Amino acid sequence: MTDPFATAGFLGLSGALLVIGLFGILTRRNFILLLISIEIAINAAVLNFVYFAAYAPSAPIALEGQSAAVVVIALAATEIAVGLAIVLALNRVRGSINVAESSELKL
Amino acid sequence: MVFGWADLNGYAFLVPLLYVLSFVIVGLFGHRLPRAEHGGWVAVVLAGLAMVVGVLIAVGEMVNPNTWTDTQYVWLHTVGNGTGTFPHGLELIMGTLVDPISALMLIVVTVVGFLVLLYSIGYMHQDRGLARYYAELSLFLTAMTGLVLADNLLQFFLFWELVGVCSYFLIGFYYERPSAASAAKEAFIVTRVGDIMFLLGVFIYFYVFALVGPNGGWAANGFAFALGGHPFLNAPGGYGVSLLFLNAHSTILTVAGIMILGGAAGKSAQFPLHVWLPDAMEGPTTVSALIHAATMVAAGVYLLAVTSIFIGFTPTDSLAIVAIGGFTTFFAATMAVVQPDIKRVIAYSTISQLGYMVLAVGAGFAMVGLYHLFTHAFFKALLFLAAGAVIHAVGSQDLFKMGGLGKSMRFTSIAFLIGALSLSGIPPFAGFWSKDDVLSQVYGTLGTHPAYWPFFLLALAAVFLTAYYIFRAWFLAFSGDHPRDPNLPHAHDPPWTMRVPLLVLSGFAIVAGVLPYLPAFGKLFDLGADVPPPPFGFSDALVSVVSFGLALAGFLTAYVLWSNGRVYALPERSPAQPVRQLLLHRYYFKAGFDALGLRGIYLLSRIADWVDQYVIDGTIRGLERAFGGLSGRARRMQSGMVLDYATFVVGGLLALLLFVLIVGPYVLHLWGG
Repeated sequence: MTDPFATAGFLGLSGALLVIGLFGILTRRNFILLLISIEIAINAAVLNFVYFAAYAPSAPIALEGQSAAVVVIALAATEIAVGLAIVLALNRVRGSINVAESSELKL
Repeated sequence: MVFGWADLNGYAFLVPLLYVLSFVIVGLFGHRLPRAEHGGWVAVVLAGLAMVVGVLIAVGEMVNPNTWTDTQYVWLHTVGNGTGTFPHGLELIMGTLVDPISALMLIVVTVVGFLVLLYSIGYMHQDRGLARYYAELSLFLTAMTGLVLADNLLQFFLFWELVGVCSYFLIGFYYERPSAASAAKEAFIVTRVGDIMFLLGVFIYFYVFALVGPNGGWAANGFAFALGGHPFLNAPGGYGVSLLFLNAHSTILTVAGIMILGGAAGKSAQFPLHVWLPDAMEGPTTVSALIHAATMVAAGVYLLAVTSIFIGFTPTDSLAIVAIGGFTTFFAATMAVVQPDIKRVIAYSTISQLGYMVLAVGAGFAMVGLYHLFTHAFFKALLFLAAGAVIHAVGSQDLFKMGGLGKSMRFTSIAFLIGALSLSGIPPFAGFWSKDDVLSQVYGTLGTHPAYWPFFLLALAAVFLTAYYIFRAWFLAFSGDHPRDPNLPHAHDPPWTMRVPLLVLSGFAIVAGVLPYLPAFGKLFDLGADVPPPPFGFSDALVSVVSFGLALAGFLTAYVLWSNGRVYALPERSPAQPVRQLLLHRYYFKAGFDALGLRGIYLLSRIADWVDQYVIDGTIRGLERAFGGLSGRARRMQSGMVLDYATFVVGGLLALLLFVLIVGPYVLHLWGG
């Protein structure tokens, strides 16, 4: 019953979002842009949850997909909160939020 | 009779027990007694009691001929669980087996032991450490009587080791002297080579007879000897070992026999393990007389005799035993010919005479070998004790310093002469009868065993050498007018404690050969039909005449060269000079063994050290270094850069996807999944 063209469109959109996010993660040096890229990649997954929940065979299963999407959004929000806190701390310590300049995580 | 003779046999343990008592008393309290030789008297009295018990047991065996009394005490008992090698468990026993041969050995050990202890009172009175001396001699006698009374091979081996360690203690009695300490060590190590072989032999016998044998004769009985003296290797024996079974195991039984021969050769100083006995003369002369002439060195012969009586040897073993014995008689006698040391002459003579016994046992006449052991114990102990009296009097062992002692030490010179006559086999002295039996019995086997010929001839040639070297020693020490070394102290005959043993042993050296002609005493040599007794008598007149002629020739040669204080010096340019050097250097055997130890074993150790350092340690160090390097490289991946980690995450994800979506299905497809 699913519209194959609509499915392809949604999956293409979410795949594109993931690739854009990953590209941003691998190329951005600015910590804030890095966090935004992560958000984009996460939203690719959220889109998938919501889309497939619309085609669920029954209401409880549809609710499962949608609630997973809500959980992931909440998770992303907390992650961003932690990430921004790190950005502030890093800015205070080093005066820069360029991730390529800090390697303190090394042993 | 309320208490019969046979009842006494159950109390045979008293003999070693009395010696243990002496060992404990003298060993613990000997140094607290008012005078040092009091400990000696304790040992003498207890040894006297032991001698009484021992001789009574022997008399019992004469009264009830061929009685076998086995008194067993369980030493160790394992409980079996119904399966496995020993379904009913294994019992190890300590026991006393009184039979004619152990009675015979008891006479030898207890009588000579008592006489030597008595003699020690006079001989050792100037020495320090007397409590140690008497305690160790008592311990030795414990072990030796325990050995002759042993009723199983395991107990035999235990006491065998115990006499070995006592020998070690007593050779090293003068431990301040480096030569004595080294001689003790040499004796211990060389006999140890034989002991290991002995133990291996016992294991092989146990394997063959108990573990794979047809009816588990030994498994039920520990290592016990068969009562009645049926050899295991004789088909109609008490254990019913079939000929088929023997043929199937003949190789391993031959190996076992060779191992037993090795043990006996170590203890009885047979070629090539003979080197330790001459050096063992570093101990007190009394020790040489008791341990290294009469008893312990005879234990090897006793082991061979017991093995041939209870287990039996294969034909190959017999030939090997005959070869070792026959060769040793001649080999050792040649070295005695040039010795300047009175004790070493007698020591080589002991090796040579033990060779005769080994020869007889190998040729299948265990009782003839024990007959010679019996007579030899007395006349050789006599020779040693007489030599001890000389050494005691003049303070030197060098024959070339002595001379003319016959005048000042008439008693000793006659005692030594009796020993010498007996040793060289001049009738009617004891040595003649037993040596004659050995030679004639071996001669009788030559028809069926032509391979024995060379060894018989060597043994015959040794008769000449024996008479020559012992009379050379006698003439050098006792004939002439005065000592060759003017600094020698004026000699005198020994005190009564030393004379009595000499007197008694002289008596034995004269009559011991004909004692078995008494019907009662002869019972000690009668073990029934399986073991032929000595013939006692001129069983082969030709051999008797030839051996007597050779002995006489040896005596005459010695008389011509050495009598009346003459000293025969081999001319410098004589072609025999290299031979003399070879003999003086003992065929370079000791030097060879030393070289083997210092070079061969040292080289081996260095190779082992190299392997340890570079192969074993090298492997471990190499592994350590390789892993260290690998870790050093691996830790560089942790750069601390967030972007690098992100790359790893994404790269890992892609690799996972690649595997799950493409590689995995492809491999499954290849496997036909």
